[in-house]
Amino acid sequence: MYCKDTMKYALFLGCAIPIKYPGFEAATRRVCERLGIELVDMPFACCPPPTSLKMVHHDSWLALAALNLCRAEEAGLDLLTLCSGCVNTLKEANHTLKKSDSKRRKINRILEDQNHHYKGTIEVTHILDVLYQDSVVEKLIKEMSLELPMKIGCHYGCHYFRPPKIMYPDELSDSESYVPVKMDHLLSIIGMEPTEYSRKFLCCGSPLGANADQDAGYAIVKEKLGHIRERHIDALSVICPSCFEQFDMGQIALSRKFKDQSKIPIFYLTQLVGLSMGMTPKEVGLDVHRVKSKKLLESIGIS
Amino acid sequence: MTVKLWNFFPREALYECYQCARCTGSCPALEVAEALGPRETILKCLNLGHDEVVEDERLWVCCTCNVCEDRCPQKIPISDLLVALRNSAARRGNIPDKLQIAIELLAKTGRSMIVHQLDEMRAHHGLAPLMPVPIDEVREVLKKTKLDDVIEF
Repeated sequence: MYCKDTMKYALFLGCAIPIKYPGFEAATRRVCERLGIELVDMPFACCPPPTSLKMVHHDSWLALAALNLCRAEEAGLDLLTLCSGCVNTLKEANHTLKKSDSKRRKINRILEDQNHHYKGTIEVTHILDVLYQDSVVEKLIKEMSLELPMKIGCHYGCHYFRPPKIMYPDELSDSESYVPVKMDHLLSIIGMEPTEYSRKFLCCGSPLGANADQDAGYAIVKEKLGHIRERHIDALSVICPSCFEQFDMGQIALSRKFKDQSKIPIFYLTQLVGLSMGMTPKEVGLDVHRVKSKKLLESIGIS
Repeated sequence: MTVKLWNFFPREALYECYQCARCTGSCPALEVAEALGPRETILKCLNLGHDEVVEDERLWVCCTCNVCEDRCPQKIPISDLLVALRNSAARRGNIPDKLQIAIELLAKTGRSMIVHQLDEMRAHHGLAPLMPVPIDEVREVLKKTKLDDVIEF
């Protein structure tokens, strides 16, 4: 049975989605509204990223994450993230602070002047995990108005599920690893054909490009796209704005060097879910993608 | 400084490493760039060469994808080691320019992205203006954690 009480979250937008890719935010808000998931906006700061501040100053990373966790905690709401980086930081910080009395005391001494006190009473989740809940899937099936018959590849993004012992401690394999499948399953529900490809769990290369070497980051994109083309996959679905940018902008950059390659449209998960509910490409923000999906969508009757 | 590093990471965990290189064989950064790689990093730390590691720019050539740790048969917390080493490197001034600029932006604005003509862009997607970051609070927290020992802001 659909339970209304549990379907309310503090919406943690992060930085990249509301600033660079507000179309993902628009699609997510529309989809959640249709599915009865209430989103509460709050003045959060940057998560901050596991790829930047954590690498430079761990204590600052943990304290700023705790500040964000406190704000949701004070409202009595679980945190819903839309980005693999945000979910990685906030889940790990939440895990660390719940587990360690000494770290919690240390962080609370830092936060007390700002009148915050971390207690450890909320959970952090990601939009994919929220949509994958049975009650939400039941509602999605009722709200769906069309299927999207195309071969889709899923790219999960490393920070969404690694390290598994922190991200999915209750779903570990015998070797204490975790192989994500939720996006593949969800997309098959909306009539897509999730297709396996070699090196599916290879990083997109975004942090490498951002911190060290842009060309090296794009070399990883090139490798992944090669494997994706081999399986004649029509499009790629992602759940992280950094992965999205890496594949979308990356293909534009690579096409200047390697002219013969066809481009593969990239979608953010809730854009595909929105399309299956009858939303228009513009409503889910597809008009600003660099790699255009117009032809592909027209071929399945969406314009 | 070197003493401090091992306060952040239990050095004895490194003795579990038998240099099988499963980590390095799985490293995406090493496939495409001149990275140090986890196996060599651990070996140098074991051989008391961690000063050399902390001063090596290649320490930053990494996807932070955590595959090395995931594949380690000895369950060494490699990502924690890499965070501790890079924190130490940053304290000594070994930090990529791009990363330094990104963190200055974060500390000054509370966000990781430059905000430019944002309201118009959000309106195009039918969205309200973005809620402002509680920047004074953010800056106070980052001052108390002494981020400015490493990055001026």
